Amino acid sequence: MAMGQGAAPASAGARKDGSAEEIARQVWQSRWLYVFLLPTVILYSAYTIWPIVASIRYSLLDWNGFDSDGVFIGLANYSELASDPQFWNAFGNTLMFLVLAVPLRVGLALVLAVALNDPRLPFVRVMRTALFLPVVTTGAIVGVVMRFVLDPTGGPINVALLDSGLLERPVNFLGQASLALYSAVAIWVWKWLGVTLIYWLAALQTIPKDLYEAASIDGAGHVEQFRYVTVPLLVPFLIIITLLTAVEATNVFDLLLTLTGGGPFYATEVIDIFVYRQAFAANIPRLGYASAAALFFGACIVLLAALQMAVRWQLRRRAGEAR
Amino acid sequence: MTEDLKPVSPAALGPDLTRRAFLYGTVAAGAVGAAGGPAFAQAAKTIEWWDQFAPLVPLHQKIWEEFSAKNPGVKIAYTQMNPADMMQALQLAFRSKRAPDIHSILTSDLSVTNQLSKAGWFSPLDASFNADTPFLKEALLEGMTVFNGKAYSFPIFSFRQHETSLWWTKPFMEQAGIDPAAGPKTWDEMRKAAQAMTKGRTYGLILPLQFTNRMANHVLDLAQVAGAPGRFDWRTGAYPFGSEPFVQAVEFLLSFQRDGSLHPASSSLDARQGRARWAAGEAGMFFDGPWNSGVVKGSFAQVLDTLGAASIPLPSSGQPAFTYHTPPSGEFWISSQCEDPAIATKILQLFTTDAYYVGLAERMDQPPLDLSAVDRANVHPTYKTVVEGFKKVVRLAPEPLIKNPNVAQVYAEMKPVTPGVGEIVQGAMGGAVSNVKATLQQYADKLTAERDRAIKVVKDKGVQVSLDDWVFPNWKQGEDYTASHYKT
Amino acid sequence: MMASERKTIRLRWGTLLIAALLALLCLLWVYPFLWLLSASLKEPLEIFSKGLNLIPDKAQWENYARAWSTAGFAQYMLNTILVTAGTVLLVVLHCALSGYVLGRYDFYGRRLIIGILGATFVIPAGMTIIPIVDLTQDLGLLSSRWGIILALAGSGQAAGILLYAGYFQRIPKELEEAAVIDGASFFTVFFKIMLPLAGPVTATVSVLTFLFAWNSFLIPLVFTFGSPELRTLAVGMLAFVGTNETDWPGMAAAATLSLLPVVILFFFAQRYLVEGFAGAVKS
Repeated sequence: MAMGQGAAPASAGARKDGSAEEIARQVWQSRWLYVFLLPTVILYSAYTIWPIVASIRYSLLDWNGFDSDGVFIGLANYSELASDPQFWNAFGNTLMFLVLAVPLRVGLALVLAVALNDPRLPFVRVMRTALFLPVVTTGAIVGVVMRFVLDPTGGPINVALLDSGLLERPVNFLGQASLALYSAVAIWVWKWLGVTLIYWLAALQTIPKDLYEAASIDGAGHVEQFRYVTVPLLVPFLIIITLLTAVEATNVFDLLLTLTGGGPFYATEVIDIFVYRQAFAANIPRLGYASAAALFFGACIVLLAALQMAVRWQLRRRAGEAR
Repeated sequence: MTEDLKPVSPAALGPDLTRRAFLYGTVAAGAVGAAGGPAFAQAAKTIEWWDQFAPLVPLHQKIWEEFSAKNPGVKIAYTQMNPADMMQALQLAFRSKRAPDIHSILTSDLSVTNQLSKAGWFSPLDASFNADTPFLKEALLEGMTVFNGKAYSFPIFSFRQHETSLWWTKPFMEQAGIDPAAGPKTWDEMRKAAQAMTKGRTYGLILPLQFTNRMANHVLDLAQVAGAPGRFDWRTGAYPFGSEPFVQAVEFLLSFQRDGSLHPASSSLDARQGRARWAAGEAGMFFDGPWNSGVVKGSFAQVLDTLGAASIPLPSSGQPAFTYHTPPSGEFWISSQCEDPAIATKILQLFTTDAYYVGLAERMDQPPLDLSAVDRANVHPTYKTVVEGFKKVVRLAPEPLIKNPNVAQVYAEMKPVTPGVGEIVQGAMGGAVSNVKATLQQYADKLTAERDRAIKVVKDKGVQVSLDDWVFPNWKQGEDYTASHYKT
Repeated sequence: MMASERKTIRLRWGTLLIAALLALLCLLWVYPFLWLLSASLKEPLEIFSKGLNLIPDKAQWENYARAWSTAGFAQYMLNTILVTAGTVLLVVLHCALSGYVLGRYDFYGRRLIIGILGATFVIPAGMTIIPIVDLTQDLGLLSSRWGIILALAGSGQAAGILLYAGYFQRIPKELEEAAVIDGASFFTVFFKIMLPLAGPVTATVSVLTFLFAWNSFLIPLVFTFGSPELRTLAVGMLAFVGTNETDWPGMAAAATLSLLPVVILFFFAQRYLVEGFAGAVKS
């Protein structure tokens, strides 16, 4: 995760001149390294890289999945994608989901982590387990259960709101197009908060205790300590945790499929569901089109991540110059 | 998304069926012996069978067991499929050469059948297949169950059915001041009844809005009794979704929401969940197909006695109303990876007997191909009522494919158009679609454009096909469009 | 004196307040699970009619019996345990090996491998299932637990590798130099010295992989279409919902059964998880 850029140079590669002989010698010298890498390289090429390469080919085909292979149609799938309002709706929903859910999850988890990091607090372990419960629950189960919990008539939330007189009519959390995406975001944050909480707790543990003591001696209160000690030291973690969370936020398939199926009227249809609908749920699957959508979106994510990395690198360089 | 699955109930079969199936099994075994040679008896064979007909399993199991008893060495291994991922499973099974010997294909969408046939998924029925009964003869149609003159499959259910019968529980109907045996006849009566039933946490009507295919069928049925022709206008070939009857049908459904008599959870329910909540007494009425009585008997036996049902309610009383159903499609297909289509055919032949139709009726699922079997079967009165209703209301629709088998290639070329009618109803209920008429018209226009495109692509390959294949000038309101009509 | 005393009292009250708020929040987190537990003991129609009341009229224990034996959840549990254990072992092994090499050594191809790992790390996985099926079919492993394990262990384990790499990178060089002087081979150094040192990372990667494998859905789903006897809990759950439409109590019982082992595991493993993470990212 936190890969330092300058890895420890050890056995090989101390001196590099370009000659083939020299390269061969060095490769031979570090043969054990390659043996160690072998399992990962094999597994990774087979199950991660090869599928991506194959998908690129599929995305150039008109293929219903019934025939053993499709018909080559060049970039037609991509140009159809560009003018498909439902694809852009799904794209927009995914971005909306990211923009709403990621800060909410990262922020809320930070607040909770700071609170739960307090050793004087009773029942910390039970509370952590409670918050972690939904994480270990399959998305499909969460989807089914939450449909009951949010139900407009029998669901406990609406029953409580109606009985207490706070509401006149039940709220249709999942059935109303304008609300469904927000409900989905809330449930997703609820489900995955525990993971981010763990990340933050781990990050907080890396802060040396003596820093707080020093700050305390200097007369800093709790708020000041948080502001001037905790926050600055957490910034690098913020970037990693946000990235991790954002990646997870693009993978909400099983939860949304059981929760709303992408509805009502595509209000919660994210890219995953769009792809699934094209590839499997339609009467006549369109595997090529689905692959094109998945790849296009994947490329956007990689681009986004690269952009973020570049900005980070720039910031670090500027900080280095300032020093 | 999820097809409507009905659960298994352990109702036993009549002894009559057992004896007859036994008899047929013997005959079939003899035939196989003759066709397959003497080696057959020794060969151990497993016929893999996949389908999604959970409610029919007890009936089928019996037939299979008897077949195995008569044909030692032949075993039928059944896998009950989940409709949600069944097509995906088949797709992957075919890719990996592990396809079942016999399978269903979940949808009656003709374009799917034709694409699968084109992709070489099916084996034809063996020559020994006997289709002598009148309803079977009628049902074997080129492009539907017959490809290039060879029979591939056959229907087991009657085309005389729709999914928009009205079901209610009697105490609710009494409370609304309507005869609980007859129920509301018109849309207005139904609306008033729903309002009268709405009280506290109980509502008048529950709809499975998340199951968009089902909603589309409800709208189609309601629009047809309001005067719309069908999926397309048989007289002109045009798609009628933007026409007044369709708008009226959607508005009718929306009126329950406006009245506050629609169960608020409807928006996130599929048919199975909707049925369960209706049965739990949360709503008084529910639109469903004939299988509802079978499901209630199996899963919610405690409400079976309070069940009431009627044919589809009409916009106004007095005028005759009809819905049109395309000729029945095949249910079971022998896969091209089946090593012994002869044996598979023998087994499938047992699904064409009178005993089977009676057994089918007694499962109270979709009505059997031979509707008269319902009269001879021991079924719940609501099932009889609903099937009687079908006889009065449902008529056979024309099918372009039968007029010109080349239409199959157009079907195979056409890509799905969304949002469809079901999604539009869902959107209108959820507040995402404000102008129903315009959105329905948009759907009709997109569908028209897609059909035009598909026709052009197929024509360019030199195939004889045109928009005229969708036009049936001799079609008449209220008449079955039978095989003879195509000839004139 | 007075001031500091007041401060401790205020602090204690503050802590209590925070604890109360947190407890309330946790209730929000736990409620759906209480609902699940309660639904698993109710009758089908009771689930709708009881509203907020979580106590069933009469506990229906046979829901569990039905889920466990009739619906085959005993077999699903066994499959899930085998698949999860296999995946965890394989992932820990291959991530540790490659993380060690990537973290401590420089060699030809190192940057390329790290680049690929980084890039695939952010690609949303899951929709690339057809090539994986084709490949597994060619290997003759479709419809086998090994097929599932290999596919799970091979898809998107970049995080584990990078965790190990980060950790091994910070272990001082002197340690292995001393061992090498004593005549230890590359192999021995890794298995006898380095791997044991990486305990916290192994714990973290194990727990993360456990969660991943236990909950994995798409791969076990499509790999077991033709062989229901190999289904895992997550897949069995869906099949149960799909084929027993209205048996919500049975579904709730099945869900509760599938949750129990992971909840227990997490309750005891959470310390390692936090410390492992902390240890792994400290740099």
